[in-house]
Amino acid sequence: MEMICIVCPNGCRLEVTGTGDDITVTGALCPKGVDFAHTELTAPLRSLTSTVATAFPLVPRLPVKTRGEIPKGKMHEAMAQIRAVRVTKPVKVGDVILADVFGTDIIATGNAGEVAA
Amino acid sequence: MPNSAAEKYDVLVLGAGPGGLAAAVSAHENGARVLLVERERKLGGILKQCVHDGFGLMRFKERLTGTEYAQREIDRFHALNIDVVTESFVVDIQPTDGTYLVTTQSAAGMCRYECKAIILACGCRERTSRQVFIHGDRPAGIFSAGTAQYFVNIQGKMPTKKCVILGSGDIGLIMARRLTLEGAEVVGVYEIKDAPAGLSRNISQCLNDFDIPLHLSTTVTEVFGQERVEAVAVEQVDKNFQPIPGTRQVIDCDALILSVGLLPEIELPNMLALPIDPATKGPVVDQTMMTKAAGVFACGNVLHVNDLADWVSVSGEAAGRSAAAYCTAPRTWNDNATALQYERGDFLYALPQYFDPTASEPLTLYFRSREDVAGKRVTLDLGGEKAAFSKKYRRLIPSEMEAVTVKEAASGTVYQLTMHN
Amino acid sequence: MQAKLEKKFPGVVCSAFGDSVRLEGELTDWDEIVRCGKRAAKAGFRAVINDITLKGFVPPPMRTPALQDNALAEQTPDVLIIGGGVIGCAIARELRRWALDVLLIDKEDDVAMHASSRNDGMIHPGIASHVGTLRGLYNVRGNAMYTQLCQELHVPFERWSNLILYSDPIFGVGARFYLGYRQKAFGIPGWHVSRRRLQELEPNIAQGIRGGFEYPTSGMLSPYKLTVALADCAVENGARVSLNTVVTAMDVKGTAITAVHTNRGTLRPRVVINAAGCFSDTVAGMAGDRFFSIHPRKGECCILDKEAGPLSQRSMGLVGLAAMSATSKGGGIMRTIDGNVLVGPDAYEQPLREDFSTHKEHIDAVLDKHLKLIRGFHRGQVITYFAGVRAATYEEEFIVEGSARVQNLVHAAGIQSPGLASAPAIAEEIAKITLGRLGGQILPNERFNPVRTAAPVLAKLSLEEKQKVIADNPEYGVVVCRCEGISRGEIRAAVQAPVPATSIDAVKRRVRPGMGRCQGGFCSPLVAEILAEEGVETITKKGAGSELFVGTDGKEGADHA
Repeated sequence: MEMICIVCPNGCRLEVTGTGDDITVTGALCPKGVDFAHTELTAPLRSLTSTVATAFPLVPRLPVKTRGEIPKGKMHEAMAQIRAVRVTKPVKVGDVILADVFGTDIIATGNAGEVAA
Repeated sequence: MPNSAAEKYDVLVLGAGPGGLAAAVSAHENGARVLLVERERKLGGILKQCVHDGFGLMRFKERLTGTEYAQREIDRFHALNIDVVTESFVVDIQPTDGTYLVTTQSAAGMCRYECKAIILACGCRERTSRQVFIHGDRPAGIFSAGTAQYFVNIQGKMPTKKCVILGSGDIGLIMARRLTLEGAEVVGVYEIKDAPAGLSRNISQCLNDFDIPLHLSTTVTEVFGQERVEAVAVEQVDKNFQPIPGTRQVIDCDALILSVGLLPEIELPNMLALPIDPATKGPVVDQTMMTKAAGVFACGNVLHVNDLADWVSVSGEAAGRSAAAYCTAPRTWNDNATALQYERGDFLYALPQYFDPTASEPLTLYFRSREDVAGKRVTLDLGGEKAAFSKKYRRLIPSEMEAVTVKEAASGTVYQLTMHN
Repeated sequence: MQAKLEKKFPGVVCSAFGDSVRLEGELTDWDEIVRCGKRAAKAGFRAVINDITLKGFVPPPMRTPALQDNALAEQTPDVLIIGGGVIGCAIARELRRWALDVLLIDKEDDVAMHASSRNDGMIHPGIASHVGTLRGLYNVRGNAMYTQLCQELHVPFERWSNLILYSDPIFGVGARFYLGYRQKAFGIPGWHVSRRRLQELEPNIAQGIRGGFEYPTSGMLSPYKLTVALADCAVENGARVSLNTVVTAMDVKGTAITAVHTNRGTLRPRVVINAAGCFSDTVAGMAGDRFFSIHPRKGECCILDKEAGPLSQRSMGLVGLAAMSATSKGGGIMRTIDGNVLVGPDAYEQPLREDFSTHKEHIDAVLDKHLKLIRGFHRGQVITYFAGVRAATYEEEFIVEGSARVQNLVHAAGIQSPGLASAPAIAEEIAKITLGRLGGQILPNERFNPVRTAAPVLAKLSLEEKQKVIADNPEYGVVVCRCEGISRGEIRAAVQAPVPATSIDAVKRRVRPGMGRCQGGFCSPLVAEILAEEGVETITKKGAGSELFVGTDGKEGADHA
């Protein structure tokens, strides 16, 4: 089967043959593509980016992301948790906004509040 | 009276997106006294609304979101204590005897700056529904993808519950996923060409992951709805992009979101009457990023629309370096610079458009293939005994830009890019 | 006449209806229905009421606001003006020269929402009208009033002159006599321009043009800015404007309107002025004074980017013999007051009175016809296009008169091209008629100020002037619209004006953010923010129903520690 590696913007077109753990991957420019194909066939993962509400009138939304990846099928559930958060204290890039969401943290990808100035 | 005496700088950088930030830092590090001028309230340019990831793999060897990428560049910029003015809009640029007099408008009034060099880093803008000749009613609910992105990511407002996206540019694909995650229904993405305009990985992770269909060779021809969009008509097109009779379909939706291409924002290049390359739609430059106006440099998306912010930063650094060098050793545009030759049938565009053998800056050449081709060799001839660059590409597609850096000095009597088997 | 019509249009029945003639029946082609009406208009009646229906077509009801309240209940203004186009707004201002309670209503969310924002902005010299018509009379009279009016209202206006061009030398000879006659009869200055002179005046003009006629009194302005300015000035002088207000019915007793029912309550005005544009026949009918019909004639126009602006200096159109006697001139190219180029409009008959959709075939035809007039114009310069609908009667004539049947009704109806140029003269005349219908002694309004208070337009100011404006109010320094260089201060002033802008499009009509090449992509979120700051609760493009957002992303969750 064919799949596009989404690890980097190269977007390598992977050709995967075999089943289960016994697969061969061709077309990847780097080993990450091979790893990607393996995960994609067993337990696909995705990183999730979104925003959360804030209490700061000039910055009504703070961008966030999952620090690592979460199961592909859990994106909507993770969104529900993200939707329930509102940031009231100043935060900066990397601060944890929501801990332990499907095995990773939701962290800020921007600054908000006083530090934003 | 305007703030009377003009403040003096070596380099004025106009625009504080990734290109302008990199240019300001690099000009500063190369010894120039720099002022960064930004028209918006905050630094970062369009990256402020790019909450998605995929940035920085080249520059930071890390997968960052657009906002993280911007913050790193902003932090680095601020750490150097370079002067900056925000919410400052350039209204005039006058060449005056080897320097430039730049006038800005801001809450502080009309300010004037005298500088030796200018770096244009004013980015790009989206093509509109009118530029692709969509007809019918003109209700609320027709947004460019970038505007929709601003509404959702910056303001937290939803511009749609159920939409059609026209154009498969990357912002459109990113917005298809973003709107879906925020609870909207994306009925489909429609692309007039027979191949997607965006990156393959975005087709995969933004559309396929969410079962959003991509319809190629199909376009939106009409909008319905008096107040708010109620439906759009889509039609398949032939290879000349003319609608095929009998393929019309009316789709209920409350919004039409357009991702039909980006164009360099050339207000300031026009103010300076700089020659524009019809292929890139941006100003013509040599390998030092200098335009035909001596001392005016350009970088990033005002030159040509890049698909990665990382390359914008690279060109910003080059422009910053060159502008700083210009301040200590001014030069004029070299009329003997060699113009780039290439087959328009093979390449959508290539730049820099000129190679000046007398300039010391190494050449980084950017190009896009016109067609989706496999196994082609691209060769750059700079007049040396052997080709300055030659590489066989597994695949070249129009939506993915290629860049080539040439380190060795070359005579530059020839400057020709060819594609062959 | 019945026999003649019957022969050409089988099934059509005509009957006398007061002084007018009424047509009934059913036809299968809208153009036939219009032709039948035009034919009947030549039969010597006062006017044609065309009730012929189009087979299989149910006319959509007039679009009305959803709003229902009693804000106007039992009000008794001296004058009620129905319609907030350029005509209604000019009348409102004119009437406030007198001590009268003037109320203007419009069913839309803003003034200038129909034909007054959907035309080419040309103040015609009057040369296109037939001698002896009201269209010609008011045009010439109105044109002469514009210099002073625009100074008073602070509306940019330039007499850039108009060129009627020809490519057929025989036409040139004929037109000299034809146009010469009109020039003399109307008193319009104008002259023939040779091919060589034309090349000097307009260096980019196409080679095939053999000559033309120049009319120096022809002018250009922004028709919606003018309409808004008239309304603002009227309100500053004490007139009232009620938007989202539609007349639903009228009570008529004997020869007088006793009540006007609206969605905002029942009013009892002393005099009603019908300035309802494409619905002026409907309004006349409500008042029991049905004597004419409107046949909506649509036109589509394109706007070119400012980069095309400098290529031509004047408005111009290529004219052939056929067009000289036609009801519309067939459009042309016009350098707009804001520096863009307008191409068009075309003119075609269709039954819809408020359908402003554009069509590929019309826009393509307009571009194909006119772009070739100037070397350097091309399709890539198109930044937007729009459509408008002209309120034409079958007589192709203005109706500017007191009602023959209803004592307290005055018509400013059937106003089509050159309605914009004619507006000040029509308003003057309507005011005169209205005073007569009100009767009794009416005192002048001693405090009337013809000069409108205008907010600064930064782009038009010198460096020193800008500096001063910004020093007084720093918001004028912050540029919100990068394409047109419009500041936050200018936008806020529009939102705070006497007739406040309350939607994205209303702001755009007044101060232009969104008119430039980005078409609102960059600035509309910022304009929305300013509207919200000024207390506009729901951000719309153009009033209720056109909300920009369908809600928020729902992220109002619990606070993060």
